[in-house]
Amino acid sequence: MTEVNEAGGAPHVSLRGVTKRYGGVTALEGVDFSCRLGSIHAVLGENGAGKSTLIKIMSGVVRPDEGEMRIAGAPVEFRHPAEANRAGIVCIFQELSLLPDLTVADNISIADPPRRFGLIDSRAQRRRAEALLARIGCEDVNPLLRVRDLPLSRRQMVEIAKALAKDPKVLILDEATSALTAADVERVFGVLRRLKAEGVSILTISHRMHEIEAVADMCSVFRNGRHVETFAQGARSAGQIVEMMIGREISAQFPPKPAPTPKPPVMETKGLSWEGRLNGIDLHVGKGEIVGLGGLDGQGQKELLLALFGVLKGVSGEVKVSGKPVRVRSPLEAKRAGIDMALIPEDRKTEGLLLPMSIADNLLVASLDRLSKGPFIDAKAAAAAVEDGIRRLRIKIGDAGDPVATLSGGNQQKVVIAKWLMTGPKTILLNDPTRGIDVGTKQEIYRLLRELADAGAAILFYSTDYEELIGCCDRVAVMYDGRVRAELEGDEITERNIVASALAMDAREAAE
Amino acid sequence: MTAAASPPPARFRLSAEDKPIVVAAGFILVILAVGTFYTLATQGAATLLSPTYLLQQLQVGAFLGIVAAGMMLVILLGHIDLSVPWTLAAAAMMATAVGGGAAIPVALGIGLVVGVVNGFGVAYLRIPSMIFTLGVNAVLRGLMVAHTGGFAPQTKATELMQWLAVGKILGVPVALLVWALVSVLVVLMLNRSALGKSIYAIGNKEAAAYLSGVPTRRVFILAFGLCGMCAGLAGALLAGYSTKAYQGMGDAYLLPAIAAVVIGGTNILGGRGRYLGTLVGVILIVLLNSVLSIMQMPEAGRQVIYGLVIIGMLLVYGRGARVTS
Repeated sequence: MTEVNEAGGAPHVSLRGVTKRYGGVTALEGVDFSCRLGSIHAVLGENGAGKSTLIKIMSGVVRPDEGEMRIAGAPVEFRHPAEANRAGIVCIFQELSLLPDLTVADNISIADPPRRFGLIDSRAQRRRAEALLARIGCEDVNPLLRVRDLPLSRRQMVEIAKALAKDPKVLILDEATSALTAADVERVFGVLRRLKAEGVSILTISHRMHEIEAVADMCSVFRNGRHVETFAQGARSAGQIVEMMIGREISAQFPPKPAPTPKPPVMETKGLSWEGRLNGIDLHVGKGEIVGLGGLDGQGQKELLLALFGVLKGVSGEVKVSGKPVRVRSPLEAKRAGIDMALIPEDRKTEGLLLPMSIADNLLVASLDRLSKGPFIDAKAAAAAVEDGIRRLRIKIGDAGDPVATLSGGNQQKVVIAKWLMTGPKTILLNDPTRGIDVGTKQEIYRLLRELADAGAAILFYSTDYEELIGCCDRVAVMYDGRVRAELEGDEITERNIVASALAMDAREAAE
Repeated sequence: MTAAASPPPARFRLSAEDKPIVVAAGFILVILAVGTFYTLATQGAATLLSPTYLLQQLQVGAFLGIVAAGMMLVILLGHIDLSVPWTLAAAAMMATAVGGGAAIPVALGIGLVVGVVNGFGVAYLRIPSMIFTLGVNAVLRGLMVAHTGGFAPQTKATELMQWLAVGKILGVPVALLVWALVSVLVVLMLNRSALGKSIYAIGNKEAAAYLSGVPTRRVFILAFGLCGMCAGLAGALLAGYSTKAYQGMGDAYLLPAIAAVVIGGTNILGGRGRYLGTLVGVILIVLLNSVLSIMQMPEAGRQVIYGLVIIGMLLVYGRGARVTS
């Protein structure tokens, strides 16, 4: 283990020999870790590497079994996140902590609202929210809106504003940028750099390498609950870092793409519109083709997937499946024979999985009708299907009867995918399927998508990560304001072209 | 992937679903022990442990048990059926009014229709079940009062209804056999059928179930329909037990049925629970009532103890059993 002492100053928060076990699973083992004031420190590692446990310990959510933690040299023991907050440690967690039915202003000041005569001073609260939102460049968010009505990426920005309201000395971001659009990420980075200049210590967990390169000055890699190495950002190549994280060498991040050939369309849309969010979408996905949906967040990509899957009411326009016009009014109809669609939803915890239910039940929930003989489920066929799904996606499990909530994020997402593969879909819609998933699982998902396409599936794939679109897709439809702004194919799929189209610039204009 | 974390050592552990059942079963033994101690001290005999007494309790418990079986399906969905009292009463009244061989089919049919209406209100009109079924209960009461003109109906339960409620086969009450049959059907449905799995899935996360292509509306209507049918069957049996139907005959069944389901470990918010728990819950409530009345506890005291037991049981296991994600 090497410690790089670049900033020179004494560490602000330091952990010595910290160990944490959950039942028989050791989440952290003898970890030494420290971070300094005025630095942005990235923590890297696959899901299950112990990153989450590390920050949970630092922010007082869980207590370590062994080891000690010091702040500015003085030993501390947090029993509650509020104590960590008082010590200046504020954490923005991966799962959004906002209350959807309260307003943005209420949420930002939820822990400590400004008071007047003992009652909440809503005007001061609103001003405070406005000031904080302005600080992170989100003046467009109305503090009086209910959080429920904001898109996911705006909610994440509100979450950041809420953390800043606590005036942190140490700010921890757990995957806080994974739901953000490229423009919002830049804004957040601006805020982070300013905070760093003000002497705040920032700890960030992210799976996006280019973001880490853009903003971090220190990196620590974790693997299997151990601290592997800490180094100054730039001292190691991306390849070396990935190797450290997964403990083996990786050849190519993305599976090779086949040569483009004309493909018969499996799914076509014409003039698909919905409530001003979709404004006449013409798109087709061919047999064996992976089509990416790009563009800034909130340009109608999610609505398009939901409209195709029959979730939205009042969709106009035409959808054809294998040449025949269809009207899909519910997910139940979407998965029926003849339409054979599958949707991997955006949020696996609330839309994809039944968390307290068993892995087996989750795998079977989309196939119950297919597996039933008369009134009862064919137990043998069901068991075989479960085993097959687990093997096919290499899902790491203890027992198929365990609650799916016990799995890591990557394995949970594999369960969602396996559940739908069981139905034998011909069109697969994916809504940002690799969000918050470790590198190893991401690569497995890329490979799987290519295999499915090679086996004849039509795949429509929305991703907020441009690298993914570039590496994975045969064609990318870039959306802007509810329309397909550009379709990029082959060599045209470059970050520059995607960004240019996403901003509704002419490709040539951007090149000049 | 790197080397998998070694699995935790296998040892016997009660799952979150089994714990309430074990606790409730233990409490049943406590009730029997206390009651027996009392009868030994006052009468010198262990009346509570005689097969006659126990079978009699199970026979009385059958009515509650059938209502609770239906209620459990709805609670597993994360909903509730407050129309049970007057579904039961309406089914009983119409069954006795029609009479003859059609009596029991009429009772079941009325239960089914009311349940389907409830399911329709919840699934299509999206009205919270607590409000909708409460409204349906009031409507049914009004209809029945209009039907009888406000007097107790004069019609008698049919022979078959009476036999089902109080008859015996080889010393075993027929009502108990009916309850057993309903239980077997419910267990098979919950554990082995697509409908059962769908009920659990919707109770856990309706959005995820819907996006998985589970026919959520159909499941709502079927579950409420089955709940109504159970209430209708209980109504027919209860009318047979007392040889006639009467106003308010279902009123004593709503809260105990919900309590039995919840005491048995079914999550009141839906998605989790085993039928065995509901069985144990029903037996616990019936025995508790019976032992308190043997001990000549006045009605007021019985209510207090009854309520405290329910709250106490829920405190023991109702909290902290959530799965962390």
